[in-house]
Amino acid sequence: MTRRIDLRRVAQYGVVVVVAVTLNFLLPRLMPGNPLALIAGVDVGMLTPDQRAEIVARVGLDAPMWQQYLRYWGDIFTGDFGFSFRSSRPIVDMILERLPWTLLITGLSLLVSAVVGVLLGAISAWRRGTKGDLSMLSGMISIESLPSFWLGMVLVSLFAVQWGLLPSFGAVTPASDLEGWAHVWDIISHAILPVTALSIVGTPGVYMTMRYSMLETLGEDYIRTARAKGAGERRVLFGHVARNTIAPVITVLAIRLGFAFGGTVIIETVFSYPGLGRLVFEAVAGRDYPVMQAAFLVFTAAILVANLAADLLYPLIDPRSRTS
Amino acid sequence: MTATGGEDRAIRRAVRRRSRLPTILGVAGLVIVGALVVTAVFAPWLAPYDPTERIARPFLFPSAEHPLGTNDVGHDLLSEIIFGSRVSLMVGLVAATVALLIGTTVGVIAGYYPKRLGSTLMRGVDVILILPFLPLLIVLAAYLGRSLLNTILVIGLLIWAEPARIIRSQVLSLRSREYVLAARSMGAPDRWTIIRHIVPRTALLATGSFVRAVSGAILLEAALSFLGLGDPIQKSWGSTLYWAQTRGAFLTPAWKWWVLPPGILIMLASLGFALIAFSLEERINPRL
Repeated sequence: MTRRIDLRRVAQYGVVVVVAVTLNFLLPRLMPGNPLALIAGVDVGMLTPDQRAEIVARVGLDAPMWQQYLRYWGDIFTGDFGFSFRSSRPIVDMILERLPWTLLITGLSLLVSAVVGVLLGAISAWRRGTKGDLSMLSGMISIESLPSFWLGMVLVSLFAVQWGLLPSFGAVTPASDLEGWAHVWDIISHAILPVTALSIVGTPGVYMTMRYSMLETLGEDYIRTARAKGAGERRVLFGHVARNTIAPVITVLAIRLGFAFGGTVIIETVFSYPGLGRLVFEAVAGRDYPVMQAAFLVFTAAILVANLAADLLYPLIDPRSRTS
Repeated sequence: MTATGGEDRAIRRAVRRRSRLPTILGVAGLVIVGALVVTAVFAPWLAPYDPTERIARPFLFPSAEHPLGTNDVGHDLLSEIIFGSRVSLMVGLVAATVALLIGTTVGVIAGYYPKRLGSTLMRGVDVILILPFLPLLIVLAAYLGRSLLNTILVIGLLIWAEPARIIRSQVLSLRSREYVLAARSMGAPDRWTIIRHIVPRTALLATGSFVRAVSGAILLEAALSFLGLGDPIQKSWGSTLYWAQTRGAFLTPAWKWWVLPPGILIMLASLGFALIAFSLEERINPRL
């Protein structure tokens, strides 16, 4: 049984990859106007017919659609995403150099929102219906409506400009030759504001999941049994409730990791943080379509890896799913 | 109930408070949304100036004539923000309508024909839910170009999957109810059964997911406009913040009147609908 479900999941992920790649392939070719501008990044009006034909042949736009499609897949499998229109650099290099920064701030912020969200969600569910629970719940609903970019701007205005406590942009101080701990502190101080903004907007989702899934556990018969046999509150909470709640929450967290990645487009733009999200923004602003597409594929891959990790982790955390 | 007296009272108190909170929050949401709708409808009378006209020097500090100062080209910021409510509400409502139409259609069909057709449809829904949401939104918006209609379409076409899932599960349970079975066993055609017996029963749930979709769409419109992908002619709260960012207003004292107000309004608009949605959802399926 478990095996068959795994196969179906794998098939689903395969479909996601095909859909993402096909979208990438079709979008620039189906848009109104000349696809040459979108695919080769040239100003079509400035070219002589000969030049235009030369570029069409080089990019392969004269081949039948299915051949172009196959070639596109071939390029992706060989890790060839082409070159940026703007900087003429290989896109793979650009992505690899941005990736660590995005991993740093998403990883840290996910950690913070996971710990805070799980703790507050557990407290809320345990004290269900009390004033504390309801005000926490209302607060979280409000935070969910916060536009993350605006939160980022306000944090910069307050902490960087008004009080001058932290740097307002970038990941490191430009043109500084800091070494050792000074360099580490430089990186941390630049990451604090983006991580804070991401953590704040990421917390309500974890909180809601934790609260609802714990409320469900609290209603189970075995909790009543545990209470009936005289187990203390502490033992019920840690021995019975927490252990049965944590598995679904960890799955949700793993899936959020993938999506948190995409959310950085906005936060990294506010803080001019040199990660993958900022790269997407720059590509969009500069009509650098191949870079935008490659980044989209990386985001898709991130989500799939996170989902896969959740699938593999689940039976380890929750033994019930192993046998059934 | 075998609870002791004290516990009994505590539970009753909790139940009372539990049932009151959704109502309080729902009313708060209605008040917020009502105020915004009034602002949007009467914007031309409420706004002191035409938000597209250069009526003063750029970068003015707040004054009696310009309570929120002026922006980088000399537009009155207060008027701009008052008119911004129109874009925000319109994109939110229309995009959510698009999403609801697609979501209900897919959800009802997938729920009523759960075997092959339904499970194929839901596989598609799962695929959409896995795709990286924000990057896809940005890629689509970038290719389609900047206009109000495109913003609405892109958002509407990406947020229908969640409503579809919710409505499908409701339809799944409805189709095995006695009155539906009775109608079908008497030979009522599928289309009749669906329109007469299934769709009306999903109305409350659909309203809930519609309102939730409006709340989400307002935030997405703001995000797209903030990234410079909104309609360049229709100034929305998001695009006001885009210019505040581009001109570095958040690095100067101007952030207090240029950055704070539009952001607070985006949050209030999204929150207003989220509160109504929460109150509706609690009524349908109490989880407090």
